[in-house]
Amino acid sequence: MTALLSVSDLRKAYSGVHALDSVSFEVAAGSITGLIGPNGSGKSTAIDCISGFQKLDGGKVVLAGTDITGKPAHLIARAGLMRTFQTVRIYERLSLRDNLAIAAQQFDQATWIDEFFRTRRYRDAVEQSEQRAAELVDLIGLRKYYEIETGILSYGQKKLVALAAALMPHPRIVVLDEPVAGVNPSRIREIEVALQQLNRAGETFLIVEHNVEFITNLCHQVIVLEQGRKLTEGTAAAIHTDARVLEAYLGMTPEMAEAEMRGAA
Amino acid sequence: MKLLLALLGALAFAALPLVTSSNYIIGVGISALIFTVAAAALNLVYGFTGLLSFAQLGFWGIGGYATTLTVMTFGGNFWLGVVYAALLNAALALVIGYPILRTNRHAFVISTLTFALLVALIARDWVTLTRGPLGIPNIPRPQAFGFAFETTPSFYWVAWAFSVATIGFLYALCSSRIGRTLIAIKQNEPLVRAQGISPMPYKLASFAIGAAITGAAGGVFAFHLRVIDPGFLDFYYMQTFLIIVIIGGAGSFWGVIAAGIALSALPEALRFSADFRMIIYGVILVAAMFVMPTGVAGWLRERKIARMRQALQ
Amino acid sequence: MTIDAVYLLQLTLNGIALGLLYALIAVGLSLIFGVMEIINFAHGELLMLGAFAMCFALPVMGLLYWPAMATAIVATMLAGFVIYEGLLVRLKPDEFERSILITLGLSIIIIHVMQYLFTATPRMVDSQYGFDGVEIGAIRITWTRVIGAAAAVAAFAGLYLVLRYTQFGRAMRAIAQNRDAALMVGIRPRVVARNAVILAAGLCGLAGAAISPIQLVTPYMGQFLIFKAFALVIIGGLGNIPGAVVAAIGLGLVESWIGGFFEIAWQEAAVFVIMIAVLFLRPDGLFKRGGMRVG
Repeated sequence: MTALLSVSDLRKAYSGVHALDSVSFEVAAGSITGLIGPNGSGKSTAIDCISGFQKLDGGKVVLAGTDITGKPAHLIARAGLMRTFQTVRIYERLSLRDNLAIAAQQFDQATWIDEFFRTRRYRDAVEQSEQRAAELVDLIGLRKYYEIETGILSYGQKKLVALAAALMPHPRIVVLDEPVAGVNPSRIREIEVALQQLNRAGETFLIVEHNVEFITNLCHQVIVLEQGRKLTEGTAAAIHTDARVLEAYLGMTPEMAEAEMRGAA
Repeated sequence: MKLLLALLGALAFAALPLVTSSNYIIGVGISALIFTVAAAALNLVYGFTGLLSFAQLGFWGIGGYATTLTVMTFGGNFWLGVVYAALLNAALALVIGYPILRTNRHAFVISTLTFALLVALIARDWVTLTRGPLGIPNIPRPQAFGFAFETTPSFYWVAWAFSVATIGFLYALCSSRIGRTLIAIKQNEPLVRAQGISPMPYKLASFAIGAAITGAAGGVFAFHLRVIDPGFLDFYYMQTFLIIVIIGGAGSFWGVIAAGIALSALPEALRFSADFRMIIYGVILVAAMFVMPTGVAGWLRERKIARMRQALQ
Repeated sequence: MTIDAVYLLQLTLNGIALGLLYALIAVGLSLIFGVMEIINFAHGELLMLGAFAMCFALPVMGLLYWPAMATAIVATMLAGFVIYEGLLVRLKPDEFERSILITLGLSIIIIHVMQYLFTATPRMVDSQYGFDGVEIGAIRITWTRVIGAAAAVAAFAGLYLVLRYTQFGRAMRAIAQNRDAALMVGIRPRVVARNAVILAAGLCGLAGAAISPIQLVTPYMGQFLIFKAFALVIIGGLGNIPGAVVAAIGLGLVESWIGGFFEIAWQEAAVFVIMIAVLFLRPDGLFKRGGMRVG
């Protein structure tokens, strides 16, 4: 598999403190890649820098052969990188339908002139967007809320709306910032299944998450950050038994982790 | 349904000069129409895009002076004057909009306010152009195809046609994808950016269109008053537009239109003294911000959502 | 035009006196913004109330300047207390637009109630100092201006000490710098915000009292000054107190110099032109906001 997103030597400092100290990694096309690390390890800063929401001090970000380093957020999105946010962001006072339609509108060819004259191009664009929205709404199981303001949904449902919105324009890669944090545990499994289904259909994901089980179940490749540096990288299974990761991330030794897992089982 | 009602309302308004011969009542009708247009423009900028702009007052004044001066000084006619007023305001809004939209929202509000005051100062002090505090009296009524809109009822139709056209335009804009995007920017700007949309052109466009329409409305209003002086830039106008938008419900298109008609007619009907009217306005503004901060339309909408929520449980 | 050194010095001194009065208003605005993140549109009306209080207190006190000024300050502080407990206390942080509309409504009410009660006729205020002045060589400045400036300087010194060394000043700075952290260490934002509003109102009352013998007192006097103060707060950087002071004194000087040589229109327009220029070059104001630093 080739690298769809390649990040090299990413650097960012806040008043002297290195939030990111020369971080490099790649996300393979068609993969689900996890980005984990303890609080303050630089995960969120990394994806903010990649997606253009923070200025980076140095390094290079390449998406599908295009250099997107330091571009404004909306241009990075147009290049095919869609993201969600840690504290869920949706348009709470618009219907689910509008939430999804807005997410796609920058990516069709229809201009406001097309809209004014209701040209074929406009009608096609709207039809395609509606179709995609219908698919996604079924996938996240929120069909009955389609015409209703999203503000009334539960927190977990809002996260699903944000996920669906990010998927609307068929992006090259979707970056999810803590997709299951604060979500009712019974729903996490649903999200897992949905992401796997989307991935089988060819979607690439980069996921930042605290929930180790979720990451282990889902990810092909996992990157571990600690204090702004890349600690290690490998398959989910390899990471799970890596002593350094366990110590840095969970603060325990491999034996303790094993004991815990046995206890849980 | 709403459109049908709006159409019926517009037609009913067109009939006002047929049911009354009182120039006073027709004059109140003209003010109501023009204030409603200006409030709808402010609603586009504040209600939809979320930019609390006091610059509307400046645009209103520039529009009034530009239209008047086109006729009185530069030998043009009223119709051209209104178009010039709109174009001049749009251009100005782009020029000042760009730097102040880059600042934070706190600075934006204050900058728009100071712009409005600067315009008022210029109107007072650039005597060679505006004749200063003396003002420009005896503004003639407009003409078209040999017909002079000399009487108040005939000018009423000019104001009516103007407001129906601009409100129609604003409605088309607000209910389009552009309008939807403006609401999205107001609600969650980072998300808009994450979805590939650059907020700046939308904000600038909204600010400039709002300025153009406010300016044109100011032009028509100056020809209704038939005199213009620095009092045209009194803060009273800004307060009126704001109160209409707040009471109607910022972001609710028809709510603001309805509030515009109701609120500009009411004080006239009750014949309050100027001071007393302002006190009432102030009390309404403060009370509305506490009792129903989203206006009448927002209040109705919240009740609807509460019902929906209950139905879903 | 020949520039006369004495005339220039006179303009400069007048400018500093004027700038200090602007600073009193702008600092109050900055203080409230720093602690509550709101802009108080009714701030100019506090100044007007201060001026009216001075205007009514002076004859009662037999034209004695200092007791009347103290009355004015106490009166505006009381008004600030009422405004905070009645209206502002209900605002949550980050309700900026709402705060503007509420205080704007309040400002409309205060102005028109005052006009209704006392009419719009401008009032002259006479004090024990009358129009006497101090003469240094060829320069002449009225006592009321000198005292106004001195009172302002004293007020700033007092403010500095309060912010720097008292418990309540430290609490205000803490909230301005990091709200969440301040809440965690047990600072009560309601008390701090109330104190900040009262303090800002007191500064405004002082400004109103000091200005009343110099300018005519009308219900609208606050509006003209407050708009300038808004611009100053923007120029100096929102929430930045020293920035506001520097910008205010700078503006006083610029206005005084321009007023000395050009038409008055330019003097009035200067502040707006400066503000637009500053925003073009530095969108965050001349002095970026770094919490509420006092030195």
